[in-house]
Parts: sequence; structure tokens; C-alpha cells
Amino acid sequence: MFNILAVLVQASPTETTQKVYSEDATIWRHMSEALHLSLDRVVSLLIAVLPGILAFFVSLAVFTLVGMAISAILRWGLALVKFDDRLVRYRASGEWTPSTSPVAIVARASFWGCVLLGLIIGVSAFDASYATAATLPISLLPYLTHAVGAILLLIAGTLIARFLARSVLIGAVNAQLHYARFLSLGAKWLVLVLTAAMVLDHLEVGGVVVELAFGILFGGIVLTLALAVGLGSRDLVSRSLESRIERSGERTNDGLTSAKDGPGETIRHF
Amino acid sequence: MATTNTLTDSSPTPALAGGGLLVVLPALHHEQYQSLFANLVASMPAEELLIAAPEGIQTDQYPALRFVSLPSTRSAWTLTAADFTSAYQIAEKNHARAILMLGPECDSLDPSGLRELAHAVVAASVDLAVSYYDLPPRAGLVNSSILYPLSRALFATRVRFPLAIDLGLSLRMAEQLAAAATRLVANNQGDAPIWPGGEAALAGMTIEEVDVGGRRFPQPAEMDLNTILPLVTGSLFSDIESKAALWQRARTTPPSRRRIPANVVSPSDANAEIASMIQGFRLGYTNLLEIWGLVLPPNSLLGLKRLSQLDGAAFKMPEQLWAHIVFDFLVAYRLRSINRGHLLGALIPLYLAWVAGHINVVASGVNPERHVEAVAAAFEADKPYLVARWRWPDRFNP
Repeated sequence: MFNILAVLVQASPTETTQKVYSEDATIWRHMSEALHLSLDRVVSLLIAVLPGILAFFVSLAVFTLVGMAISAILRWGLALVKFDDRLVRYRASGEWTPSTSPVAIVARASFWGCVLLGLIIGVSAFDASYATAATLPISLLPYLTHAVGAILLLIAGTLIARFLARSVLIGAVNAQLHYARFLSLGAKWLVLVLTAAMVLDHLEVGGVVVELAFGILFGGIVLTLALAVGLGSRDLVSRSLESRIERSGERTNDGLTSAKDGPGETIRHF
Repeated sequence: MATTNTLTDSSPTPALAGGGLLVVLPALHHEQYQSLFANLVASMPAEELLIAAPEGIQTDQYPALRFVSLPSTRSAWTLTAADFTSAYQIAEKNHARAILMLGPECDSLDPSGLRELAHAVVAASVDLAVSYYDLPPRAGLVNSSILYPLSRALFATRVRFPLAIDLGLSLRMAEQLAAAATRLVANNQGDAPIWPGGEAALAGMTIEEVDVGGRRFPQPAEMDLNTILPLVTGSLFSDIESKAALWQRARTTPPSRRRIPANVVSPSDANAEIASMIQGFRLGYTNLLEIWGLVLPPNSLLGLKRLSQLDGAAFKMPEQLWAHIVFDFLVAYRLRSINRGHLLGALIPLYLAWVAGHINVVASGVNPERHVEAVAAAFEADKPYLVARWRWPDRFNP
């Protein structure tokens, strides 16, 4: 009995060790093969995509330089012909009043136009090179082209939100609404939420969740603003009605203006 | 049976001997025309007058008057670029010697005022005769607070009503104004106001102010201050911007020949409207400080903070602070620090603060005209501040 056990104890560790070693070698080989395959795939993808990436950056850099040159030439040329002064003379009280001088606007527009052109050309070059390597799926790459549009949407949305917020704030203050800042913030967030939803939709992130969340948020903000304005603007409406009645009374009273009017007269700004 | 002659003919009339006076009239009711014609005939020989009026008026009661038709304008409260263009074209076509342009509701003008205006351009060889109106102390406040002080300080003219609607023009002045107006009309801005004082100063023409007494004033169709104040102030700021080379030169304002009317307002408590204006200013101070901070320097913001803490009868905008505020807004308008619509909208609460202060000053017994003159003098005294900021805006960027 002891002999048998002794044989077993002597023989089994060697066999087990050999078997385990053999299985480990197989796993290592498989893992190594998988890693090699993966590396090959990534390297192949990089080799396929690298010219596209390089073309993207080269295109962007070249067109940025071209834009800078065109912008500088335009600034110099328009300043030479006094473009700003001429424009002011020709449109003394125009509705459109930009916050930068016309020369600067033209120069910046030309610069950013070139940058955008470079971006479009670069992205299309990248897209073409990616299409050749389409057999290698990397899920993030298709977002690059959408990301450009999303960034533009985000910038436009932020600018519009800021402009509207200021317009609403000034208008509400001049209408003597005590919740002017609240209204302004409401208008700003309405546009920002809309922008965020559009950006996410453009990036195809979130799907139905984004639509649902946007609907709830947008509706919530509109409802809050409607309640605030409805409950808070009773004074404004009554003031408006009173002043309208007073005005119609003034128009029927056709008297001459006179310096002999007493201190109780109404204030006339014009 | 008497027949009724109606003005429909647009062909030029035979030239007046020696060049007469062209009287340009706005659209009025029939009764108003009759009243005005009576005043005109009472103040000047009818044969020297050529009346330009919109088509359709009945002229049978005044056979001595000669008429030409005038395209009607859309503005019902001020003279516009289109009015000046039409007036000059008619005057040139009919060889008129001078032009008398009368604004809406002009039938309420006194005949002596009409005579003085006409006399200034026909006999006294003045290029621009501007009406001086006898207004109540609480009327024409935009003019008293911004238009008059700015025009006086920058163009060195003592014209109390730079946007007067009754004017006498020599033919060369009319030509100058028509040239300025044509640019606006060509740019589809025929409704924009024209600033005759600035144009006269630019061309070096003689200006005289004529006291025409009281008159009924037309009110803008858009009575809303939030619409009209940016419109008028923006127009003046644009005019000032386009004439920067002129007003930056040192100029001396001629001494005033105007009499300051006797104080007709007895000291009394200011009315409830002041409270509403002060409230409007405080609301602006609470909410618009961020926007004002982009335009005004810290000194002005400190002054506004102090002002916001004043109450009732003590509330008064210091003259120098108001002058700096208007100058800073003018510089910001030029630099486009923020959108111009926003900029002029943000000026409204500050203007209301000035009005509240002005009414308080008047209620304390001070002659309103003296207060307006003090404000204008502060603008004149601080003109170097504007010139410095205009020329070197980067030296101080709020």
C-alpha cells in the first residue's frame, strides 16, 4: 500500500507539471498571436490612415497661412481706401450694427473662410483615405467629420444664446420687469439646451434618451418662464393699459405747448 | 358757383422774379392748411411764396399763392433725409432763393415766428435759421439731456434744438443738406433724420437761432422711449462719428444771445413719475452693471453706485458724471465695444436717472433752462476727455 502511494507521489507531480506547462505555452502562444494580429491590424490601419491625417494637417496649415495672408492684404487694402469711413458715410443709421469694424469683419471672415476651406478639404482627404481602410473598423473615426459640424453648431448656438440673453435682459430692464435677469437666463438656457440637443443628435450620441431629455428640459424651461411672466407681469400689463388710455386722452387734447404749464404736467421725452 | 382747385399738377411753375421763397409743407388736414396759408400770407407777400405740398390740397381760397406738388414722406414727427432731397430738387427747379421747411403740425406756429424764419434766410443772408421753441419745462428732455449738449460741445453751435422741425435754409445750405441726405436715400434710409447744425458747421455756414414761440409738437407714431431714444441717439452718434475730423479741432462756441426765460415753475414736490424713473435706474444698476462695465470706466461706475443709493428729492445725476457717461457711450459706439443696439438700449436707464434728477432740480426752484445750460457747459468743459478717449481708446479699456 505504502509502495503504491510512494510511486504515485513520485510520478504524478512531474506529469502534472508537464501538462500545466504545456497548457500555459498554448495560452501564451494564442495570446501572443492575438496581440500580434491586433498590432498588425492597428499598424495596417495607421499605415492606411496616416496619409489622410497628414493630408488633413497639411491642408489645414496651408489654408491657415493663405487665410492669414489674404486677411492681412485685405486689412491693408481696405484701410488704404478708408472702407470704414465710407461705409459709415453711406449708412449713417443702419439697422445692422456689428460690434467690430467692417474692415476687421471682412478680414476675419476671409481668414476663417480659408481655415474652414482647409478643414473641409482636410476632412475629405482623411475621409477618402479612411474609406480605403474601411475593412478595419474603428468606431471613433466616423465621428471626426461629424465633430466638425458639431463644433460649428456649438459655437453658433453659444453666440446666439449670448446675444439673445443680452437682448432680453436689456429689453426686460427697460420694461421695468423685476425678473429681467431670470428671463434673460431662461432665454439663454433655452438656446443652450437646444444647441446641446442638436450637437448630440449630430454626433449620434444618446439617441432617444437625448430627445426625451431635451423635450423634458425645454418644456420645463418654457413652462417655468410662462408661469413667471404670467404671474409677474400683471403690473406691466396694467401699466401698459393705463398709459395707452392716458395717451389717447392726450391726443384728443389738442392744446399748444406752453411754458406756463404747471409742475404737474406729464413728462415728454420728445 | 365757385370751383375748387386741387393741387395735382407736378410740372414746374414759372420761375419767380428774382427768386422767391420756397415753403415746403408736410401733409396736413384741410383746416390746418387753411390756417397755415392765412398765417403765411399774413407774414409775407403772397407773390413771393412758392408752396410745395403733397398732392390733393385745395388752393382755391388763396389764388395769389403758387403751388407745386411734393412727394409725401412717411415720417410724421421729424424732417427726414427724403424731405431735404425733395426740397432742394424743387428749389433748384424753380430757382427759389431760399427755403422754409416746416414740420408736421406747423399750422400752430405763430405768424411772427414764420416771418422771422423767412427773414433770416431771405434778407439777413443767414444760411441756416433754426427754430427755438418755447417748451414746457418737462418736454423735449432727450434734446435737453443729450442732443443739445453734445451738439453744442462738439460742433460749437448754440442751437438749442438740433433736430428742429422748422428751418430756414439758403440755397447753398439746402444743397449741402441734400448731398448728405442723398447718401442716406440711396442707401434706402430716407426716413433717417438729418442734423443740419453739424452739416452747417462742416461747411462753415452761418447759423442763426430764431425764437418762434410755442407750437404743437407732433409725437412719434412709436411712442415707446425704448424705440425712439436709440433711433435718435444712434443717428446723432453716427453723424458725430462721420464728422470726427471736424469736431476734434479746437473750436470756440459763440456767446449766447438767447434770453433765458423767467422761472415759471414754483418749487414743489416732484411727481410720482420720478419714483418710477429712479426704480428703472436701480433695476438697470442691478442687472446691467456687467454691460455698463464694458463701456464705462470705474470712476463712472462708482458715481452710479453712489447715485443708486440716493433717494427721493436728493436724487440728482451730477453734470460731469452725465457728460462722461454720454461721451463713454459715444466712444463705445464708435469702437463697437458691444452691439450698438444693446449699447443704446443700455443707455435708457441712465437717461431716466438724468431725467429724474432734472425734475428734482427743477422742483427745487432752479430754472430748468439754467440747469440744461449747466449740463451743456459740463459737456463743453469735458470735451478734452472725449477727444482723448476717441484718439487713444486703448490707453484706457474698461
